Amino acid sequence: MLSKLYDFVIRKHLEILTVVFVGISLLLLSQTENHVILSMQTRWQDVTSFMKKPIAEQQRKKKVIEENRQLRMDIFRLNRELAHQQSLSTENERLREMLGFRDTSRYELLPALITYKGFKDGSSIIMLDKGKENKVQANDVIVDKDGLVGRILSSGKRTSIASMIIEPDVRVSVRINPSRVYGILKWHHGDTFVIEDIPTTIEIKPGWTVTTSGLSEIYPRDIPVGYITQVNSSENGFTYLIEGNYYVSFRKLQEVFIVSHDGN
Amino acid sequence: METDQLRSRIVYIVMSVLFIVTVVFNDFIGIAGIHPDILLIMLFFLAMNEKPLIAIIMAFVFGFLQDIFLPGTLQYWGLSPLFKTLIVFGLIKLLPFWYRLKGFLFYLSIFGAMLSYSILYDLLYYSGYVKPLVILYRYAIPETLYTFAFLLIVSVIFPLKNRSNK
Repeated sequence: MLSKLYDFVIRKHLEILTVVFVGISLLLLSQTENHVILSMQTRWQDVTSFMKKPIAEQQRKKKVIEENRQLRMDIFRLNRELAHQQSLSTENERLREMLGFRDTSRYELLPALITYKGFKDGSSIIMLDKGKENKVQANDVIVDKDGLVGRILSSGKRTSIASMIIEPDVRVSVRINPSRVYGILKWHHGDTFVIEDIPTTIEIKPGWTVTTSGLSEIYPRDIPVGYITQVNSSENGFTYLIEGNYYVSFRKLQEVFIVSHDGN
Repeated sequence: METDQLRSRIVYIVMSVLFIVTVVFNDFIGIAGIHPDILLIMLFFLAMNEKPLIAIIMAFVFGFLQDIFLPGTLQYWGLSPLFKTLIVFGLIKLLPFWYRLKGFLFYLSIFGAMLSYSILYDLLYYSGYVKPLVILYRYAIPETLYTFAFLLIVSVIFPLKNRSNK
């Protein structure tokens, strides 16, 4: 009997061993948590941690670099959005100011957007998005919230071409306040102007304001033009050479008002 | 004979190194959560080159070590020795058939055996968490491919089939 059993074990040792191992495995499987094994695993992790650390650091570095790249892209995108928001905010503020100016102005004002700034026939011109459809005509005056800008040269159906007062050939009849002296203003350079031929017998001081005189056929009176910065005597000694700055910042102009012909 | 023994020793030394590397750096050699089963490759070599008794014992021991040293298998510890023992037993029983196979068919059968192991193991390991079909294409097949790629690399240096010991 024993010899038969022995023969059987020898003959089927592989199968028996497999069954034993499978049985042990199933026994292990039935124990979902074992503190001994858990402790062994923890110790093993402690032992191998010094070997894992450099690779983990390398992976972390790689991840940080990628994260950094992503963050820089995000910053760029956010900066762009911020700039856009700021631009919108500035535009909003400007439009609010213009709206306030329009509502308090005694003229009939038509808001217009400058669609183009450039040169035509040697003159500095701007193109506006309002035309005959909006009853815009040649010689209509253009202003912005700060003061006089120019006049309409010609108007199409939906657009108009206008010239600004910052041109060598443009002359504007003005009045210096509070002395109420009349003179002819011409562009000097940049946003500055000069007024000549005012007799030195009249008192003129820097800081005094310059407005349109109303003597011109084009420009109505009392439109702010600028303020005086320097008062010098001319070479002949009998007249002043008055220098001043325009109120309007012509380079930054984006929207203007067209003073309606009926409002003149 | 001595040359074969030397060769076998070198194979197992290389495998052991690979095993240590796998156990230590298991977290880092994973691709999208898929890890190769280096132990399974070692068991294939054992089953084809060593005595069946040694192969079976080693299958159980390796499976047990895998459950201890590779984190994440605590919940199902005993699963690796179970399936590793069974797969090696199956391999040993099918050895006469495998020795008749050549080239592509031989490696195809190896792949099939590995896939069977992965499917059975992963089905139990992920059961209740992932749908069976997802287990198949998300875990079982990729793991088999990854392990098989390792096996091919190793078998280029140390050809898998060696009948001289049998």
